[in-house]
Amino acid sequence: MMLRASSSANNMEVDLSFIRGEAEENGAVQHAPELAELVDASINDPGSLAPARSALVEVTDQATMLDAAAVVANFEMMTRIADGTGTRHPSDRLESMSEMSTSMGLDEFVSARLE
Amino acid sequence: MSQTPTSIIEACHESSGLEIRADLTAAHAHVWEKLAAPGTWWNGAERLAIAEIVGAALDDSNPVPPWESASAAGHLPGSALLSSELQDAVYRLAVHAGTLTEDWYLKMRDATGITPEQWVEAIEVTISVASVLRFAQLAGIDRPAFPVSIEGEPSRQGQPSRPAKHHWVPVVHLEDKTPELAPFYDGLPAVAPVIRALSSVPAAMDTLATLSSAQYIPTAEMVDLNWSRGTLSRRQIEFVAGRLSAHRECFY
Repeated sequence: MMLRASSSANNMEVDLSFIRGEAEENGAVQHAPELAELVDASINDPGSLAPARSALVEVTDQATMLDAAAVVANFEMMTRIADGTGTRHPSDRLESMSEMSTSMGLDEFVSARLE
Repeated sequence: MSQTPTSIIEACHESSGLEIRADLTAAHAHVWEKLAAPGTWWNGAERLAIAEIVGAALDDSNPVPPWESASAAGHLPGSALLSSELQDAVYRLAVHAGTLTEDWYLKMRDATGITPEQWVEAIEVTISVASVLRFAQLAGIDRPAFPVSIEGEPSRQGQPSRPAKHHWVPVVHLEDKTPELAPFYDGLPAVAPVIRALSSVPAAMDTLATLSSAQYIPTAEMVDLNWSRGTLSRRQIEFVAGRLSAHRECFY
């Protein structure tokens, strides 16, 4: 996971469980609650996208909100490529991810191609 | 006179009043230009029919479960150009990609009769539509209309793709690189499996590279773990990417 790598590169500890759970403000990812709100609204409640956008712009700016929207769009792409083509990680990569995947519950996904 | 694909995208971005990056507008215009034009294995009308299914699927506020037929349930606009089995497959890719399995893929191939390359191109159309429409939705701008289909035959230009260890679909391995794939393979000691996944259709690789560079990170900057456009930090980018992927239950 690139979040772990980009945090380690800056000698920062990051609890990756916040990727899926409550996103609290933290040193590694500034404005995590507002970013999470935008992502969550886009999936769970599109009707709340407008306030989520406003909340993110409030703590950052319009260009940052637009870039966050673009990243979401990008991973709407990447997830469909990976799962549409049955892409799997090489075994050494799977091994290095093993602890994290288990602790975050990722290996319970139907899309977890572990062999 | 109908609007060009580029003018459709530009009009939506300009009328929003937001300062959308020019490279992002150009990337979306690029894939919109390709969307309903003859592709590698599908013609323009067929590509547009796939796009319309993806659009309907993304709009579906009460999606059918993955094990049910969206076409039989009346959730799709209907298409004389695509079999109901293929319509259902595209719908499931658009709405429930995280539930796809290799067994499903093999059965889908048998039921639809499509080749792996045709499936890769269907994925390319799907990711074009998903990227452009989801960005519009999140940014709160007008949704771009689909372009008019362009007549002509698909190029049917094959690649030396071979069965792959890390994919259901065949891919072109580095040692088999062709001139069409050089822009995406050159200079790389290895190509990540998720990038190589579309390599049997170089035009799909072009779509991926174009969108990814504008929406996420330019390929050449991927190794810089502190890269930023001056807005989101790399860690914020990866947080958004990870949270979206988790919502979509994508292990990869």
